[in-house]
Amino acid sequence: MFGLSNPQRFMAFTGPLTPVLWAVAAVLLAVGTWLSFTVPADYQQGDTVRIMFVHVPAAVWGLGAYSALGVSSFFALVFRHALADAAARAAALPGAAFTALALFTGSLWGQPMWGTWWVWDARLTSVLVLFLFYLGYMALRASIDDEQKGARAAAVLGLVGLINLPIVKFSVDWWNTLHQPASFLTPGSSGLDTVYLPPFLTMLAAYGILFAALWLTAIRTEIRRRRVLTLRARQALEA
Amino acid sequence: MLDLDMTPYAAFVWPAWGVSALVLAALVARAVIASRRWKRELERLEADAPSKAVDAPRPQAAQSAVGQPESPQVARSAIGPQK
Repeated sequence: MFGLSNPQRFMAFTGPLTPVLWAVAAVLLAVGTWLSFTVPADYQQGDTVRIMFVHVPAAVWGLGAYSALGVSSFFALVFRHALADAAARAAALPGAAFTALALFTGSLWGQPMWGTWWVWDARLTSVLVLFLFYLGYMALRASIDDEQKGARAAAVLGLVGLINLPIVKFSVDWWNTLHQPASFLTPGSSGLDTVYLPPFLTMLAAYGILFAALWLTAIRTEIRRRRVLTLRARQALEA
Repeated sequence: MLDLDMTPYAAFVWPAWGVSALVLAALVARAVIASRRWKRELERLEADAPSKAVDAPRPQAAQSAVGQPESPQVARSAIGPQK
């Protein structure tokens, strides 16, 4: 595993892996979409239950992407490893997009079911804070001209944002929220009806593999971009 | 059986799926375009100065940051077999 921290080995390993991930994600998204519109409407929520198949995966992988960003930031800060910094940077945009989708689709689900687009309860607010951490991370990197200084400052912010992850996860248990508690694979909860499991799990896997494909592609792009900058700098010195 | 009649929740279900599809498509397009752009630029630079790009010693910090060139064989072939 640690061997992959060498950029050359990383490129060699992920070269053939990335197209496979793209293909699997495309197939799973197609199958998941088909399944999502073949299951019956919920007896209480009606057809709005189909929003769950895009809302929950986006929320789960929005959190997952931030975990990747935070852990990579830790390795970048402690070991000053360039690949870890590239990994942190690469996770930011897809993570922010997934989190924005979770907020948007959640709002569209909330209006017909709760009667409101938004409420400042602990779950919704902590996910909004997660989105702001993503925006802050990207803005901080972009705002400092010296890339290394920008990366270090953003990595500190990325690490601080990790504190928010358990707050997002357990907000529905720690506070009384309008948002429902976890209902999937949670002992004692009423749980998700088994008829919805195939589209739900397929879309959850599809979003996860899509994130992996986006992340690896962005890391590979970042490695190439840095090589280009190094070569350009060397050419400028020799000119 | 495919059920596309979302009445009376069509105004909520379709925007949720439509915007999700658009955002995911935009993410994929951006990733692919950026990947191709930097790959092309790197190949151009390595082809311009193959011997320097491949053989020149680098400072240790630069090595750990950028690694080795992706395909030294291709770069070498651009300047012909070495004697």
